[in-house]
Amino acid sequence: MEMIAPQHGSVSAAGPRVLPRANPYLDIESYEAEGDLMVLNMGPQHPSTHGVLRLKLWLDGEEVVKAVPYLGYLHRGVEKLLEKLTYVMSTPIVDKNDYVSSMTNEIALCMAFEKLEGTEVPRRARYMRTIVAELQRVASHLLWLATFALDMGGALGGGTSVFMYCFRERELILDLFEELTGARFHYHYHQVGGVRHDVPTGWDARVHEVAARILERIPEYEQMLAENPIFLKRTRGIGRIDVGLAQELGLSGPNLRACGIPFDLRVLQPYAAYDEIEVRTVTAEGGDVLARYRVRVQEMRESLRIATTLIDGLPGGPIMGRKPIETPNAVRPPAGEAYVAIESPRGELGTWVISDGSPKPYRAKIRPPSFHALSALPWLLPGTTIPDVIVILGSLDPIMGEADR
Amino acid sequence: MIDVEATRLVAERFGLDIGAHGPTVPPERLLELARALKDELGCGYLCYVTAAHFPEEKRGEETLPARFVVVYRVRNLDRNTEFPFRCEVPIDAGVPSLAGVWAGADWQEREAYDLVGPRFEGHPDLRRIMLPEDWVGHPLQRQYAIDTPHAPWR
Repeated sequence: MEMIAPQHGSVSAAGPRVLPRANPYLDIESYEAEGDLMVLNMGPQHPSTHGVLRLKLWLDGEEVVKAVPYLGYLHRGVEKLLEKLTYVMSTPIVDKNDYVSSMTNEIALCMAFEKLEGTEVPRRARYMRTIVAELQRVASHLLWLATFALDMGGALGGGTSVFMYCFRERELILDLFEELTGARFHYHYHQVGGVRHDVPTGWDARVHEVAARILERIPEYEQMLAENPIFLKRTRGIGRIDVGLAQELGLSGPNLRACGIPFDLRVLQPYAAYDEIEVRTVTAEGGDVLARYRVRVQEMRESLRIATTLIDGLPGGPIMGRKPIETPNAVRPPAGEAYVAIESPRGELGTWVISDGSPKPYRAKIRPPSFHALSALPWLLPGTTIPDVIVILGSLDPIMGEADR
Repeated sequence: MIDVEATRLVAERFGLDIGAHGPTVPPERLLELARALKDELGCGYLCYVTAAHFPEEKRGEETLPARFVVVYRVRNLDRNTEFPFRCEVPIDAGVPSLAGVWAGADWQEREAYDLVGPRFEGHPDLRRIMLPEDWVGHPLQRQYAIDTPHAPWR
């Protein structure tokens, strides 16, 4: 039996941390195949590509020798749209970037605008932001766990069981958000200077109820997955990425923490209310698929603890730190430039904005963690087989809406 | 937190002031700075590479030519520091690619080239990444209208 020990903060440098690197620029014309050389197009409508991603794979017999991802199927020109919309109008647009974690998208954007404008967010609003961000992290990790288990297919005894269970729990969190904001997926909850809705009566008790129910069920998933020898065989040592390459590629969030690096912006650059609560960074050793799974499952427990602790200590006061936004041109930051990064469920979600003093940004760039995670594929896939390709892709937790924007 | 050693290196070896948003490095010395940051100062984490387009503008008598500003941000995760720097080039000149220094610069530069337009010289595989290969123009340039017509299928 595989025990999942909670690993907090401590990092040992044990194990081989430098791995031989694959050559993503392999010249296929001059490649001498041992078996039959075959080109396989996976996607864009493949159920395991988590959205619309196309992978062009060159196979030598069963082994992948070169992988070229093609992105852009969900490119909507969000950065161009942000230039054409006013600061006030842009929050609901970025909701659709990382569509399973809308709350953190809005926080990242609003925080960049607040930094440009120099707006202070009141303490109650900062608490609310932290609580919804942590609940959103649990919902997002549950969705990841569900689809990841589905990728493994029938090998896990029933195939869709874990998928159904995780969606059942995720629904509880969506219900909480619906009560708070009136929407289930695209909330438009945050705005420059604070949040839009105050806590409904009795909401804190329901957060506790939901947290208790999910905490009770996480061990059930672990029993179904981490105690299953087939799951362990398919994840341990698969898709290993070494620390150096992970850093060069800009991997972040659970993908980087699974390499043993305690890089967590909630701790290193505390924002919102993270400076008022202890956040324990979850890391794991190995940098393989199993390590990424462990980090995410343990993070769910951490997030539930943070959310319930904060809701108990929710301070009073206003939820908006500037005069109410009544017109689309109300936010007009002075000329300047800002980069703000937050820890979204997938990693470092950053916004880089240039303002020229008008009510619209001059240039806005979103730094999506999924795009960086996908850029690891040409390095990770050579040398593996097709079933591993699916597992590795799933373990990186990419959301194509965010990668393509 | 801004990396103090990188600030010192940029001041002593390159004679540049870091200003509010990092030093502006001349394109011919960009690779030298990148290698120094990674190999000497241990900034192994490439946070992002992006670019912005500034069209020709008149400031009084003076006319500033159209230019690209390419922006980089690197981190040293051991010291928990970061260091932003940038490079300004005229619109028809190239920028040296950093894909040989940080592997992640490959896709980052492809995205900046695709959407904004600077050409990265020495890039191993400079193709469009978001838009189709036959797309005309770079959408994040200022003069590119949001309703620019394009072929509906191909």
